[in-house]
Amino acid sequence: MQDFLGTLIGKAVRLILSYRTGGGHALPGLVVEKLFPRYVSSMLSQIPGGVVIITGTNGKTTTTKIVSHLLNSNGLRVLTNPTGSNLTRGIASSLAQHANAFGRLKYDIAILEVDEATARRLVGLVAPRWVLALNVSRDQLDRYGEVDTIASYIGSALEAATEGVIVNANDPHLSERVKKVKKPVYYFGASPRLSKFFPSDYDLAAVDSSIEKATKSHKTDVELYRFNGQKVEYLVGGKKYAANLQLSGQHNFLNGAAALALCRRLLPPEKAQGLVAELSRVSLAFGRGEKYRLKNGAEVELVLVKNPASFTQALLSYGGAGAHLMIAINDNIADGRDVSWLWDVDFSPLNGHGVRLTSGKRAADMALRLRYDGIETQKIEPQLQPALHALSLGSGRKVILSTYTAMLQLYNYLNKNAEKIT
Amino acid sequence: MKEIHILHLYPNELNTYGDHGNRLVLMKRLGWTGYEPVVHHHHPGDSLAKQIDFVIGGGGQDSAQADVQADILKIGDGLRKLAESGVPMLTICGTYQLFGHRFVTNTGQEVKGISIFDLETVGSDKRMIGNVMVKSEFGTIFGFENHSGQTFLGENQAPLAKVLRGNGNNGKDKTEGARSLNVFGTYLHGPILPNNPAFCDELIKLAVENHYGEFSRRKIDDSLSEMARATARRRPY
Repeated sequence: MQDFLGTLIGKAVRLILSYRTGGGHALPGLVVEKLFPRYVSSMLSQIPGGVVIITGTNGKTTTTKIVSHLLNSNGLRVLTNPTGSNLTRGIASSLAQHANAFGRLKYDIAILEVDEATARRLVGLVAPRWVLALNVSRDQLDRYGEVDTIASYIGSALEAATEGVIVNANDPHLSERVKKVKKPVYYFGASPRLSKFFPSDYDLAAVDSSIEKATKSHKTDVELYRFNGQKVEYLVGGKKYAANLQLSGQHNFLNGAAALALCRRLLPPEKAQGLVAELSRVSLAFGRGEKYRLKNGAEVELVLVKNPASFTQALLSYGGAGAHLMIAINDNIADGRDVSWLWDVDFSPLNGHGVRLTSGKRAADMALRLRYDGIETQKIEPQLQPALHALSLGSGRKVILSTYTAMLQLYNYLNKNAEKIT
Repeated sequence: MKEIHILHLYPNELNTYGDHGNRLVLMKRLGWTGYEPVVHHHHPGDSLAKQIDFVIGGGGQDSAQADVQADILKIGDGLRKLAESGVPMLTICGTYQLFGHRFVTNTGQEVKGISIFDLETVGSDKRMIGNVMVKSEFGTIFGFENHSGQTFLGENQAPLAKVLRGNGNNGKDKTEGARSLNVFGTYLHGPILPNNPAFCDELIKLAVENHYGEFSRRKIDDSLSEMARATARRRPY
């Protein structure tokens, strides 16, 4: 009964909201949860393949997308929750939205992307079959404080899994937490040779390296073996598979390993064979103009620029009259440490329009580059968050052109503090 | 307006790391100083332009360097005469190497240069990549190096600068680049001129004085360069 009524109410609230604000996906769930505290657990128990939780500090959204794609391609109907709605009320909203008018969910499996604190709460409502933990890392924008606290939240989720857990072999926090897990533990990770590309939280903080050393020897079920450009090799169950990925960035290659390790547990062995080939068909919307609505109502679009070609293309698409631009340039390894390439970009689409802000570690270099093309930068703000805020105060269309790591930071912030519209 | 003629060597073949930026900055600052830049592109097979007040050349892949080598040997005498007449030249990476005696690749192949600089370069397995800071007679110079060739200066060859951070010519002797007469060579990209306006203006002064016998400076607002230089100072190698 609560499935039916809860769904109906959730749908009704969404409908009313859609007339007024054109969105808002947490409120229906809030109402439903207030009326039917067991709505989420009851609804999820309908799904024959059960619930899988994906959690961690970074990479949840990407990994969930990859897992959904891999399972879809193997004929499974996958229920996921949209990014930015990973509190339990967001999940309740999502359930009400995806159920039919009778409160029935026609899905084979639920793959839920949740932050660390929600993971702990969610396992109190429903026992997950599998939990995939990606990493634990300190995050300047995190609202939970202590990194050990976050790790303990993930620990609670891991211990609740009924079939087993999949964790990052290179993450010392996770290695500590799986010691209490009674079910089978599977690892994914990067080859030791690639460790410089994937510093763990311990590496970043340079604390207690003795623990870290003890964690490097886990046997991995799926290993990111090596990569060169978009050509990526994985060791899956000890066998080498190569693929040309559309996913960009080494972090996503590792997220791919995590997704492969999870899907190997969810699919029968004969179907698990073609997973790496299927992975090469996954493409993400990352930096392709996704739109977020900030708390002050301003909408911003995000566009990834990573080389002269993509930058020039982005300027042609977004640089014209009317759009307020913020250009964020970082020079970390994943961005390319040499910013010389900015001088090979054709900025002529900005002639006569100017740029609202430049940001990122190389904000000044970007403004200097624009100056030599006669394009004015109104403000230089290297810090991304204040820059985003300044951009949001203006009127009209607002677009952020950003390099890879600056965009990761922006996503991280927006997924917690803004609503994803498209 | 008085013209300054810039010869850009092999803009299609040697242009890997934003070398276009050096030309752009040179042209803009010439304009801001009251001179009109006129650019001549030099492609393999062309004969040298008649009027040349300034020469620039960029970097490229080793393979591209072999392509232009035959041509640069043909115009080498012409370039040497220009150098002896005081024409300033800015050569980066690949062009810098070709202005020395020779480049010996990893596989033992020898690429002959035009010997304006007394130096030679050997290929190595080690790639030197990172943010560089050097000290020169034009103040601190910031740039980004990315090369596997190791360049060793002859006994009487002056370097452009002393390495404060990074590898420079070879990662061993703390020298970076070379200077002979008004010809400058360096491994620094970034590109080098936008972040080092004092160096750029010195090159402009040399070119103008060499052609017109006199030069008067104009004040240019370099506050953005100053900010970019402050960033460069903070970035790790």
